[in-house]
Amino acid sequence: MGDRDGNVRLSFQTLKVLEAFLEKPTGELSGADVHKRTDIASGTLYPILLRLECAGWFVSRWEDIDPASAGRPRRRLYRLTRDGLARTSEVFASFGRGVPA
Amino acid sequence: MTLHVPSESSSAPLPSGEPQWAEGWARRLIEHAACKAPPALSARLAEEWLADLPARRGAIARVRFALGCCWASRVIANELGAALGATAASTTVRTTALYTSTGPAFDSRRSAVSFLIVSLHVLVIYGLAAGMARTVLETTPDRMQVSLTPKAPARERAASPLNPQLAPVELAVPEQHWTLEFPLESVAVAEVNARTREFAVASPPPPVKRELGGPGAGFPNTADYYPDAARRLGEKGSTLVQVCVDGSGRLMTNPTLAQSSGSARLDEGALRLARAGSGHYRATTEDGKPVSSCYAFRVRFELKD
Repeated sequence: MGDRDGNVRLSFQTLKVLEAFLEKPTGELSGADVHKRTDIASGTLYPILLRLECAGWFVSRWEDIDPASAGRPRRRLYRLTRDGLARTSEVFASFGRGVPA
Repeated sequence: MTLHVPSESSSAPLPSGEPQWAEGWARRLIEHAACKAPPALSARLAEEWLADLPARRGAIARVRFALGCCWASRVIANELGAALGATAASTTVRTTALYTSTGPAFDSRRSAVSFLIVSLHVLVIYGLAAGMARTVLETTPDRMQVSLTPKAPARERAASPLNPQLAPVELAVPEQHWTLEFPLESVAVAEVNARTREFAVASPPPPVKRELGGPGAGFPNTADYYPDAARRLGEKGSTLVQVCVDGSGRLMTNPTLAQSSGSARLDEGALRLARAGSGHYRATTEDGKPVSSCYAFRVRFELKD
């Protein structure tokens, strides 16, 4: 999966996933949430999430709910790491993206 | 392999009108896909995918999601297997082994999976078509009787008048008034209640009012960070700097250059200014609450006479 050195192949879909997380850098998103924001098919989305997690850009955890009382199964939540945020910021800065003052 | 996955009762059922068999089929496909993933990830992927399944609306979307999971498990198994094999063999070839195909065996597996996916699509389309065809066939009578009516003799037709003159006939239809009585109010109220419940469930969440942050009160003066060398050389311009700021206005990462001014000296001055401003940024707000965010702002260096 992802390179232990933190190197990830930055395909267009990977950039879309990272952009979704950049909306709220410290927020947590499930695979379903990322799909809603990016419309990437599940066959592509989940390998990307795992790849970025293996490379240290993301960390993931199980949603802290009781499935019986919530009436739905717990979700896997992904979050940008500090290193992942720095690298993502560098990547998008290299594209000249930004909000003009 | 036995997977500990959520029970079916915990998932959102498909809305009425959708084929209910699709839910069970999608769940079985996902469990099958998870079994094909590396053993260390099987249980996690099954639970994660089954939890994300109800987010897809409609039977076709759920089946597509499940088929996508089949593909995802293949990709994950291939990449993870390649990574483990390459790690055991040599660290130098690891990176290239990650994302490149590994020969005819991989190609044949990929072809088999592609063939399987195409077959499943054809099967689904055929099933839908057959279901619809059955409805049409059921309305068609089993037996059709055809009877031939002999033509009228030409002699009789020739004998009939070409323009018959018919006498007008007046028909008197008596007017009748009908009064229908039924509990209209109760039916209408029940219908409105049902529709209200439907809209209450489907109504979207209210929009979030987001106000982007920027340099706030107490932010350092730009003139203090004007590089001396640039000032002597008469360099001026503006630099776009990207920062990630938390809810209290502090930097979360080092500022980066989003757009250069054309002068390395001015760009460096702008980055130093952005770093020095940590704690004095105005945080982005959502419905008035400060949240962490990333945004860019422009730093202008201008020479005054």
